[in-house]
Amino acid sequence: MLPALTALASMAGLGVSLYLTIVHYSAIPLVCTTSGAVNCEVVLSSGYAVIAGSALPTAAAGIVWFLVSGALAIGQWTGRSSRLITRLQVAWSALGLLTVLFLVFVEIVILGAICLWCTAAHVFVLVTFLLAITMWQSAPAQEGS
Amino acid sequence: MAMAHKRKGAHAPPKSPPRMPPQEPHKKAMRPMRRPVRRTPGWLPAAATIGGIALVVVAFLAIRWATSPPAPAPIDSTHAAEVLSVITSVPTPDLERVASGTATNRLNPTSGPALTGPAGRPLIFYFGAEYCPYCAAERWPMIIALSRFGTFSGLKTTTSSSTDIYPNTPSFTFHGAVYSSQFVEFQAVETTDRNQKALDSPTQAQLALVNRYDKGGSIPFVDFGNRYTLSGATYLPDSLQGMGWQQIAEALQQPDSAQSKAILGSANLVAAAVCKLTSDQPAEVCSGAAIQSIEAKL
Repeated sequence: MLPALTALASMAGLGVSLYLTIVHYSAIPLVCTTSGAVNCEVVLSSGYAVIAGSALPTAAAGIVWFLVSGALAIGQWTGRSSRLITRLQVAWSALGLLTVLFLVFVEIVILGAICLWCTAAHVFVLVTFLLAITMWQSAPAQEGS
Repeated sequence: MAMAHKRKGAHAPPKSPPRMPPQEPHKKAMRPMRRPVRRTPGWLPAAATIGGIALVVVAFLAIRWATSPPAPAPIDSTHAAEVLSVITSVPTPDLERVASGTATNRLNPTSGPALTGPAGRPLIFYFGAEYCPYCAAERWPMIIALSRFGTFSGLKTTTSSSTDIYPNTPSFTFHGAVYSSQFVEFQAVETTDRNQKALDSPTQAQLALVNRYDKGGSIPFVDFGNRYTLSGATYLPDSLQGMGWQQIAEALQQPDSAQSKAILGSANLVAAAVCKLTSDQPAEVCSGAAIQSIEAKL
């Protein structure tokens, strides 16, 4: 059940990241408010919207992150080396959560604007982390392995 | 062996039933991955994570609040007139030197019937609001550029909302201002004041332009005679944060300042779009190398 939920969260996050990446590379207007504290345009037109030193959008890193997370969730679901995969999922989602905290710092403190689509992706990372630690707590392990 | 067994025992219940046969070394037994802490509810790590993140977000908000620049000191009408005098007569060499500066070209070519004003000249239509910081930022280059083609009167100081992003960005409002030019006409709608109370209402024709060309609903929106549209600001208002009107005017007299590169660069973009409407009239504005270079890219 929990791996299935993790896979679902990863798919949802993947969808959001794909949308933001497509918007970055095309002229499609982003569906988001552009006034007030919630302002996707401010965030996505800032220097932090691309991976430092490259032209790649940060959302592309999100695609990679959610793909890996989804793959790990499917691995847990099928039960192959679940102990190792659970540990990998905890480490991977902790890395994702730390990145999310940095991006939230950028949004609130540096840019003073919140991007709703980015927040949606951040929530999916948080959900993945919560599911990972829950599975880590309850997952059985093989003694002696 | 005893040592290893003792370690295993640390993960097992403290007292094993005495009659239970010892497990064979090769046989793998299931045990929790982590040491079970029975007094710790299963939901606690998740709740602690959420609580921790909430605290971090509150800390970020506090840092933002503590580091936000104060509102600029109010400016009297004499000093406001001095500032207006500076920005409505920026020397051409300064504008040429900055060229497009750090401005982002957000001008989009559009197709549609030529937009003209009541006098039959090309019409430039501005749609914004006083609370909006991007509108506050964009009015500076708009005033600088349009002042090269005509004359403004009735411009008054304002600041963007104190509660929005880029709070208290200093600017001038188009509400109540009048523009006259022999080359173009200008209409402006400031929908609300800085406290978001209703100000100007667009006509049906103006609203139709917004609905047709400003699909994303961004403000400021500027329609240059239906040949080019601008949605959003050509530079970020952060370069004006913590500054007053006079400080900005002083910075604009130094072409190498960050404010000059942003505002004068944006003014050249606006002027180039206007020159496209006026068939490069007047020549003293439109024949400059910087304007010609920008026009070639539009």
